[in-house]
Amino acid sequence: MVSLAVDNMLVGKDEPKGFLFENCRRNAFMAKQGVTLPKARSTGTTIVGVIFNEGVVLGADTRATGGSIVCDLNCEKIHYIADNVYCCGAGTAADTEFTTRMVSSKMELLKLRTGREGRVISALRMLKQYLFRYQGHVSAALVLGGVDVTGPALYTVYPHGSTDKLPYVTMGSGSLAAMSVFEDGYKVGMNEEEAKKLVRDAIRAGIVNDLGSGSNVDITVIKQGSVQQFRPYEVICKKSERQGDYTFPAGTTAVKSSHDMVPFSALRVTDEEVMEIS
Amino acid sequence: MAVLVDEGYQTHPTVQHRFFPYAQNGGTVVAVAGEDFSVVGCDTRLSEGYSILSRDVSKVRKMTKSGLLGCVGFHGDVLTLTKMLDAKMKQYKHTHGKDMSCEAMAQMLSSTLYYRRFFPYWVYNMVAGIDNNGKGCVFSYDPVGSYERETYRACGSASAIIQPLLDNQLGYKNQSNANPAPLTRDRVRTMVRDIFAAASERDIYTGDEVEISVIDANGIDTQRFPLRSD
Amino acid sequence: MFQSRSEYDRGVNVFSPEGRIFQVEYAIEAIKLGSTAVGIQTKEGVCLAVERRITSPLMIPSSIEKIVEIDDHIGCAMSGLIADSRILIDHARVEAQSHWFTFNEKMSIESVTQSVSNLALSFGEYDRKSMSRPFGVAILMAGVDENGDSVLLHMDPSGTYLKYGAKAIGAGSEGAQATLEEQYHKSMTLDDGIKLCLNVLKQVMEEKISSTNIEVGVCRKSEEKPGKFHLLGKDAIDTLLTTL
Repeated sequence: MVSLAVDNMLVGKDEPKGFLFENCRRNAFMAKQGVTLPKARSTGTTIVGVIFNEGVVLGADTRATGGSIVCDLNCEKIHYIADNVYCCGAGTAADTEFTTRMVSSKMELLKLRTGREGRVISALRMLKQYLFRYQGHVSAALVLGGVDVTGPALYTVYPHGSTDKLPYVTMGSGSLAAMSVFEDGYKVGMNEEEAKKLVRDAIRAGIVNDLGSGSNVDITVIKQGSVQQFRPYEVICKKSERQGDYTFPAGTTAVKSSHDMVPFSALRVTDEEVMEIS
Repeated sequence: MAVLVDEGYQTHPTVQHRFFPYAQNGGTVVAVAGEDFSVVGCDTRLSEGYSILSRDVSKVRKMTKSGLLGCVGFHGDVLTLTKMLDAKMKQYKHTHGKDMSCEAMAQMLSSTLYYRRFFPYWVYNMVAGIDNNGKGCVFSYDPVGSYERETYRACGSASAIIQPLLDNQLGYKNQSNANPAPLTRDRVRTMVRDIFAAASERDIYTGDEVEISVIDANGIDTQRFPLRSD
Repeated sequence: MFQSRSEYDRGVNVFSPEGRIFQVEYAIEAIKLGSTAVGIQTKEGVCLAVERRITSPLMIPSSIEKIVEIDDHIGCAMSGLIADSRILIDHARVEAQSHWFTFNEKMSIESVTQSVSNLALSFGEYDRKSMSRPFGVAILMAGVDENGDSVLLHMDPSGTYLKYGAKAIGAGSEGAQATLEEQYHKSMTLDDGIKLCLNVLKQVMEEKISSTNIEVGVCRKSEEKPGKFHLLGKDAIDTLLTTL
């Protein structure tokens, strides 16, 4: 229903730009009549980032929820922006996915146009201008991190388009739990292992204490010229082993009728007619 | 709680505030009645919104020698309701010189709930135990006192995902040539444990620990097993 | 009768120096003016029998009701000021129904009696609902409990109630009680109990016993417990009387 015409670079020149709002009136009317409109899947999430001496570590949990139900036990929340830039997303799943994907494509075009590796701050500007334009209706809360010619960079982007530049950041419903770990354990000039351990602890705090976050810790480490992804970095909560046996005996499902299937190869062509299909 | 009053398409919908003195604190209770026993399981998580308030709050309490009560919903009302019921049970014992039977407790709970028809206790209840004839019994309730005797039932935050499973595994619904295996204490206990493990995978308000009580003529046997803590 | 009759017999909530409450004692005396009522409890059930005093041939005997049903499983016989008993009976009936309403079970005979006793004791309390004097009536509460026990209870105007195997109240109670003490035994059948009741009544009644001048109520323990209380019809009483 919502078609996203990202930019006139991606669609034909005559197509209207941006979201299509033609169903808004109808949907409002339907809601008034008592129709419950579909609920978007959200990633009530814990996402974090921290700068260490050689680069940036990004971390995320892997739970996606729709209301009180877990939609996805192992979803990917650290999105690719460019070879040297990644972005963690919290909020409406679709918004975070499409927004990062769109910026990713624009970063690629930028790289092709300029012949240089894109900078993190370019992605940041694209994200915040885009989100500001939609006045918070595109609910994407992001942690953007990467390493470029200026060194490591780490930002948060709020759904309304405001941004922060900080050495350690958290976002999502588990941000308070995660930040408490950062405030306790962050040190300037950590090495990679220390940074990974801190990020793991922060995400774990979110997973265990925030009901919107769960399952595993995913970690992406970005350094000058290299990216390492750990998915999962650690499984925090595993499903316990089933104790009983719930196998259905054969014949549990009723079969109303059955017939032998004739293999295609056994068919013999007895009559043939050519039809025009223009 | 704020209620959005939609006045068609507009950027700033009017927000109307109403008196709503309830909270949802999550949690799930499952009860199964066997021939001469009943099994009640509950998780031990207490939550509000995206926060966990406690990982160690049982939702099942002993009311009499032969009766257990499971309560989920708004924890404040759970506390008041159970306190009230405890008082009523004691009063009954003093007045009539005997313990309340499961059936009597079931009806008394219903009356207590209906008494608050227009300002209800926001509690989903389940009574499980042994009836006057020594048979396992389960009674389930809505918050205003409608109740029914059943053989198996789930209530609380994961009820919608557990009840179909019970219908399948204990009710043998939509199965031809089903050959019901005898309901033993161990089979039900194992099943309830697995059910809670499964529910805690998908319901964010169910988790931490499962507490399973088997009640029969010999008394109550309660065990705990770990669940997901995320 | 009382040596030190004085102003102490006026107030219901004033003890005499000897530690008596005269109004209560007078009320107990009032019972002795009432018609005789007998109750017998056996393992198979309980029965009640009362005398109807037909003081005028113009009186319609069936309009005298001294055995009433409290609930399906409980009956009550009374002696004394029958008008006073209406208040107690109504109270007992309401209590029994309210118990069933809240607990979905039959109220026990003892609990009903306890609750009636509470009302009987509330005289002299300064609220509109209470009587200003003790109730001038004694009752025999009889029935079969939900657990199958048959119970006979006697309550007097002081609110005191006690369990009995057999009990007589009213004008002929002294003679009747003596006979009961002689002839009642725990292992008797309900049918023998009913016969004993009638024999006792026959003995103490001034008029000749007949199906019109007595009432008989029976609660027999049945398979589907609790038992059902019912009043015997004229024909049934006639048949019983022929066996005496």
